[in-house]
Amino acid sequence: MMKVNVVKNVLKANDIVANENRKIFNKAKVLALNIISSPGSGKTTLLEKTIPALKEQKSIVIVGDLQTTRDADRVSGIALRAVQINTGMSCHLYANQVSESLKDLAIDEADYVFIENVGNLVCPGEFDLGENLKVVLLSVPEGDDKVAKYPTTFRVADIVLLTKSDLLGILDFDIKKVKDDIAKLNANVTFLEISSKTSAGMDEWIFWLKEKRSQSVGQQARFVTEE
Amino acid sequence: MHELSIVISLMDQIEDVARVNKLVKIDEIQLETGVLRQVIPEVMQEAFESVKLNTICENAVLTILEVPALVVCNKCKSQFEPAIDDFLCKNCNLADVKTLKGNEIILKAIIGDK
Repeated sequence: MMKVNVVKNVLKANDIVANENRKIFNKAKVLALNIISSPGSGKTTLLEKTIPALKEQKSIVIVGDLQTTRDADRVSGIALRAVQINTGMSCHLYANQVSESLKDLAIDEADYVFIENVGNLVCPGEFDLGENLKVVLLSVPEGDDKVAKYPTTFRVADIVLLTKSDLLGILDFDIKKVKDDIAKLNANVTFLEISSKTSAGMDEWIFWLKEKRSQSVGQQARFVTEE
Repeated sequence: MHELSIVISLMDQIEDVARVNKLVKIDEIQLETGVLRQVIPEVMQEAFESVKLNTICENAVLTILEVPALVVCNKCKSQFEPAIDDFLCKNCNLADVKTLKGNEIILKAIIGDK
C-alpha cells in the first residue's frame, strides 16, 4: 500500500478555463455578467428589457437551461447574437461550455455578454465562468426569506436585483429583512429594486451596467499600457 | 447536484495521479471540502458510489474532511470564523471580509496499491 500526497484543487480544470474566458472578455472589451437566480424570477424578461435599453451598445446572450431553446429564442431578435446551451442533467454552467460557445460568437463586436445561468440558487454561484461580475436576482413572489436560506449565492453577488417590484404592494414582502440579511453577508453588494413590467428601477440598472463596463474597460486599458 | 460535478473532476485527477504513480488499485481518497462550498458529504458519497463503478476506484473509500471557514476583516484585520449566514465582524459590525479558508475543494491524498 502506498500513500500519495497530492494537494490539488479539484475544480482547477474549471478555473483554468474560466481564467481563459476572462482574458477573452477583457481583450474584446466586453463586460461579462453571470446572471443567477431561481427558475421564474425573471432573468430572460429582464434581458428582453435591458438589451434594447442599452441602445447603441450591443449584447451577446449565452443561456443555460436543462432543455429547450426557448430563452435564447426570446432574445435572439434583440441581441447581437444569442446561443443556448442545453446542460442536460447539470444544474449549472461550466466554464468550458461558455468557452465552446464563445468560438461561434462575434464577441469583438459586442459591449456586454450576459450569461444567463441555469435557474438554481445553489450551484451556479460555485462555478467560475470567467465573468467580470455576478448578478443575482430575487423576485418578490419567491419571498423575503431567500437570502437567509441561500446565503452562499447572495454572498458572492456583486449586485442583487429585487425583480417584480411592482408586486411589492400586493404580496407581503419585507425589504428591510432582505437588506439586513444581505448586509450580514457582504457589505459591498449593490441592491436595486426593479420591475421589467413597469420599468421602475430600469434606469438605475442600466446606469450600473454602463458604469461597470467603463470601469472594466478602463482597467483593462491601463493594464495593457502597463504591459 | 454540484457534488456530481465535483466527483467527476475528482475522478479525472485521481486517474492522473494513479497513472503517474503507477497505482493499479485505489483504497482511499482523502478530500478536503470548505464549508462555504456547500458540499453535502452524504450527497458526495452517493455521487462517488455511482461514478466509481468499473474504475480503479471501484473498491475505494472516500474520506471527506470538512474545513471550517476563516475570514479576515478588511477594516480592522481581525480574523474570525463566520457562520454561513453571518459574516459580520464583531468589532466593526460590517461584513467586508476576505476569505482565507472554507472555499477549498482539495484532493489531499490517495492511498493505493502498485
